[in-house]
Amino acid sequence: MFVSRSMTRKVVTVNPETTIFEAQELMAKHHIRHLPVVDESNRLVGIVTDRDLRSALPYRFFKEGINPSDKEGFQNLKVKDIMTRKVISIPPSYTIQDALLVVQNSKVGALPVVDDEGRLRGILSVRDLLRAFINVLGIGQPGTLLCILVEEKVGQLKKIVDAITEMGVSFGSVLVARYWDENKRAVFPYLLTQNVAQVKKKLTAMGYQLVDPMQWYIDQLPDTDRPPDKPAE
Amino acid sequence: MKRTGFLYDERYLLHKTGPYHPEVPERLEAILQGVSGEGLLDQLVRITAAPAELIWVHAVHTPDYVKRFEAACRSRHPTLDSPDNQMCPETYQVALLAVGGILETVRRVMAGELDNAFCAVRPPGHHAEAGRAMGFCYFNNVAIAARYLQKQWGLHRIGIVDFDVHHGNGTQHIFEDDPEIYYYSIHQHPTFAYPGTGREFEYGRGTGYGFTKNSPVLPGVGDDDWMQLIERDLVPAFTDFKPEFILVSAGFDAHRDDDMSDIKLTTECYSWIMKRLVEMSRAHAAGRLVSVLEGGYCLKRLPELARNHLEILLNG
Repeated sequence: MFVSRSMTRKVVTVNPETTIFEAQELMAKHHIRHLPVVDESNRLVGIVTDRDLRSALPYRFFKEGINPSDKEGFQNLKVKDIMTRKVISIPPSYTIQDALLVVQNSKVGALPVVDDEGRLRGILSVRDLLRAFINVLGIGQPGTLLCILVEEKVGQLKKIVDAITEMGVSFGSVLVARYWDENKRAVFPYLLTQNVAQVKKKLTAMGYQLVDPMQWYIDQLPDTDRPPDKPAE
Repeated sequence: MKRTGFLYDERYLLHKTGPYHPEVPERLEAILQGVSGEGLLDQLVRITAAPAELIWVHAVHTPDYVKRFEAACRSRHPTLDSPDNQMCPETYQVALLAVGGILETVRRVMAGELDNAFCAVRPPGHHAEAGRAMGFCYFNNVAIAARYLQKQWGLHRIGIVDFDVHHGNGTQHIFEDDPEIYYYSIHQHPTFAYPGTGREFEYGRGTGYGFTKNSPVLPGVGDDDWMQLIERDLVPAFTDFKPEFILVSAGFDAHRDDDMSDIKLTTECYSWIMKRLVEMSRAHAAGRLVSVLEGGYCLKRLPELARNHLEILLNG
């Protein structure tokens, strides 16, 4: 669950004196969009992104490619001239949840991971976070997802898990999501089986409401963005 | 009227799966009952099975897996690889008979003794991977038939159409880098159905890129959308690919009365699909088409579905 397990350890870095053309080549070569800037002792002093480069150079460089004569006016432009100095970084002891919240609040695409001495230990990108959640969702493991609507009270999940376990079916994961009704929860068991018809019958017989798959959601937009037609229950 | 084969062997009933399991021998009995009425059976060429030679099973499955399967049955182990794959001591032999029957059927079509055929076999095959049993499947029947056509008969363009409501992960993976075998599958969207593969952006790999095509279908969808997807995705693909032989993974579990999925096809839609496939086989493959049973669990609907399926092969 710690960032140190999910981050990229071999970080491509630049120093403040690197030219922005070198920085651009590094990004293209490694297919990355963030370059942490470090000093001689690997201390993080800034970060440059592909957006910083685009803002610093004329648009035609990106559209038509750069020829040597174009470069002249910008040859002296260094990373230190365009980098962000107040970097949003996180320590290796942060959890994945910490990192998710930092990304959401700061709107950055990657977080340098820095130890107590200020030294760069790795970088955690949004892609690394996605990978963790692809794993959590069980995508890639054969199974079937259900969605059950339950009252928000103690013991609901136990009954569902017990009922399914009694049928000899194992779980890949169980997600519990907030629902549009305040006192309801949507439970998403990911069952490692093809044989879900019997499970559905049993849960229905127990009085649980199985949600129409076209009405499932695990995310809720802010009020202002929400579509007007709330799904019917 | 065509010379249409019908593979059915009573020994396919010997594979038993236990309680709570929908893949039961009664499925085949329902199919036989549907085919038996009104003289249809007399117009078909009956085929019974002999066990497949292991050389053909090994053309798809790893020797380790085949040995493991045989040993599990011999030691009366109740499952293989997954709790879904409930079995009995006879399962290995029955699975070999399914493959053997299909290969004999394919041989007769290639030898010109038959025009086309339907193979009512158990256990099904399309989820079985090269080294792993999955989703009620042990040997990948259709995949083995495709390899047999390639190796024994020298075909270079084999088209597989999988209209079971679940994606045929095994078949797709086995052929994903093979440009000679085109795998098309239409199925309930993987986010909402087993096994979780068969997304729209899966097109194959390496030299096989572009020879896999998936049409994921959202829950609740009925005949019209299903037919449109086949017209949009499958028909042009086969017009380009020009298969010399069409193998069908025929699953009937997208039927509205089948509780294995949220897709709501009518019996008529299944007839439409089969007519379309027979037309495609005539256009590209000199009519050569062998259809192999995969899923389909509604015992009430299987008789009419199987009957229509065979009547279309015979007259379509």
